[in-house]
Amino acid sequence: MPIPNGGLITETNRQYYAGDQQFTVPATAVNQSFTSTFDTDLIVGTGSYWDPGSLGYNVNNVKVFTSVNAQVWTELTPVSTDFSVTLNAAANGNQPVVGIVANANVVGGNIYALINATSGLVYGTIVTSVNNGGVDTLTLNQNLAAIGIVAGTLLSVRRIITWQMLTPNIITISESLNINTYVKIQLTESAREDNFGSYEYTRLKDVIDNFLIAYVGAGKLIPSVKRTDVIFHARRGLQEFSYDTLKSIKSSELTIPPSLSLTIPQDYVNYVRLSYVDNLGVLHIIYPTNNLNQSPYYTFAQDDLGNPIQDSSESNAEVTSQTNATWNSNNPRQISGGYVNNLNNANAVFDQSVYSGALGQRYGMDPQTSQTNGWFKIDERKGTFSFTSNLANKLILLQYISDGNAYDLDARIPKLAEDALYSHIAHAILATSANTQEYIVQRYKKERSAKLRNAKIRLSNIKLDQIIQVMRGKSKWLKF
Amino acid sequence: MAINVNTVYQTVLLILNKEQRGYMTPLEFNKIGTQTQLEIFETYFESLNQQIRIPQTNVDYADRVLNLDEKISIFKTSGIPTYTAPSFSLPSESGLAQSTETIPTVAGTVAYTFSSITANELSSGTVQVFFDGVLQPTTAYSITGTIITLTVSPVAGTPPAPNTPASVFVVVTLDDFYRLGTVTYQSGALDAQELERVTRSELYHLLSSKLTKPTTHYPIYLYENKRLLVYPTTITNGITVDYIRKPADPLWNFTLGTSNQYVYSPNTSINFELHDAEQTELILKILLYAGVVVKSPEIIQVAAQQVAQENQNQKS
Repeated sequence: MPIPNGGLITETNRQYYAGDQQFTVPATAVNQSFTSTFDTDLIVGTGSYWDPGSLGYNVNNVKVFTSVNAQVWTELTPVSTDFSVTLNAAANGNQPVVGIVANANVVGGNIYALINATSGLVYGTIVTSVNNGGVDTLTLNQNLAAIGIVAGTLLSVRRIITWQMLTPNIITISESLNINTYVKIQLTESAREDNFGSYEYTRLKDVIDNFLIAYVGAGKLIPSVKRTDVIFHARRGLQEFSYDTLKSIKSSELTIPPSLSLTIPQDYVNYVRLSYVDNLGVLHIIYPTNNLNQSPYYTFAQDDLGNPIQDSSESNAEVTSQTNATWNSNNPRQISGGYVNNLNNANAVFDQSVYSGALGQRYGMDPQTSQTNGWFKIDERKGTFSFTSNLANKLILLQYISDGNAYDLDARIPKLAEDALYSHIAHAILATSANTQEYIVQRYKKERSAKLRNAKIRLSNIKLDQIIQVMRGKSKWLKF
Repeated sequence: MAINVNTVYQTVLLILNKEQRGYMTPLEFNKIGTQTQLEIFETYFESLNQQIRIPQTNVDYADRVLNLDEKISIFKTSGIPTYTAPSFSLPSESGLAQSTETIPTVAGTVAYTFSSITANELSSGTVQVFFDGVLQPTTAYSITGTIITLTVSPVAGTPPAPNTPASVFVVVTLDDFYRLGTVTYQSGALDAQELERVTRSELYHLLSSKLTKPTTHYPIYLYENKRLLVYPTTITNGITVDYIRKPADPLWNFTLGTSNQYVYSPNTSINFELHDAEQTELILKILLYAGVVVKSPEIIQVAAQQVAQENQNQKS
């Protein structure tokens, strides 16, 4: 069904897949408005955001195109509106008046700018245009440069504002559009990608509205509640669900620098897994140091008695961590037991002769250190991940969880867990309301727990055929 | 849908005059009628609060909450508040409650006294003055008390207005804001959002909490001194206020007949705005006050019993 027909889908196929919305111009007129019905709210930058030459343009998540046949589209930018005019006579410098051969399309009111068609130099915006027979006398908003405009210079006139979004999601095109021509609002690629797969989720705003409709009101268990309470519990619920129920979708591809440290992502709450990427693109898990090493929170400079030394601001002076320096300079193979190069250290047990004699018989091996992928640790003081030296310059994938509240796009819940969130909010409100019978609170506590369990099972994405395939690898055949 | 003021007045007179108990003048009736209408109107909100806590039947016409809402719905209206930094002022008048009067002018006379529009209405409402149907600027007249004084003296001769008005038509739109209802915000093509009303003590916590900080998706407002302070403060337009307006004061207007009797003037009278279902209670309550006016304990007693009985039936 290409056209939304009352279901939950409100975008057409074109809006979803192509990320554009097309309009047929209903009448020949200036300042016509076109209302976007994308699920994605249109975003524009500040300043002259309709002009690709401005910084604000880069913030836009939308572009506007026009076409006479809906086949060939032209992006509506100031440059695309250029039309040529002919200089009537050389214009003197240090004054704002320019004469051009009469052109009915040129009007005053700071709508257009006068441009050098060859160099692109903007002489100024046209404040007034007065027709004197075959000549239009243009008065610009600023004086011409001392050189003026020499005879024979090719000029063009450019519309200053091509389109605007004065109110949310409504695009207004200032130039006159002809009836039955076409306008297209096109989302940028990143905005389109953000929208792909969004049907898997329900926005938190919808959850809050739905909850207020369905769970709150006269004759219901929650007769009235402040919307801010619902917002709070919904957001807290999303945080809790993000920690242990929802899928971890946040990941970051990074290269470990020679300093062996990477800053923790801005929306990081906890890591799921860190892996380095080998030449085949296969991930190899990097393990935490656990009890092997830990970055110190304080690294005080000490006097001979061991007391911290204070600096001029009466705070304890700090020095470079020796723990970190030692850890960074180590050879991880000496820890993992990959090989031995020093018989005098604690790895003497891995001496070649001993190792060869005990081939295949490494009793007492500690699995958590017997790996060659490398280690990472988190320096809580600096807010960084630190890696062992064998990972320098390697590409890693950091998978982590956030709390679902960092960005607007995060504030959504998978539909598979939507019901659990309703129960979470209901329980939280009932549990914190005075005069609610305890059996009701308990009932909702159980309901929340059961629905959360269901959500976890659903989101675990357990597929029977995948289990069968894995079990086939174990030579354990399952019939189905 | 309104209760005819003449029907009520005639019924009251009929009951009062039986056995020659007394008479109620139109002036007394108008004042008691206004009082009674407001009294009944105010009970709606308390009754709604009581009924909303009681399980209702969904049989047609028997749901008391719906019935009450139907009575209140007559007075539901909406308006757009005006932003004057840093807050919005409430719409003071719905435009539905108006007092009008037509004054024939006399050549050479600049001052005229209103006969039906009161000084209170003139001072609290918005006045529009028309000369022969043309709206005049405020420089064309001045109003003091119940006297309107024209800036330019009318002269004899054929109109047109404004300098030689044959008649002055005055419309007073009354300030009828009563109770604030839902406040909504809409910007561009975005969905309308309801604003939540908060108190000042809550406001500071809400603003300082990152989880509950107001946004354009979830705006909030303070309601203080008849003004709305909307948060986030970037919202300076797009606010709509739903509210309950006051009922217009009833007016049984008249002309004097040939025997100096009161002759009902339907065109200049104002009916009771209450729901038709209130006619009985309205008459009984007016009778109750009328009993006080004519000093008849019997009337008071019978009317009070009837009103009490009706209330009991409505709420039991």
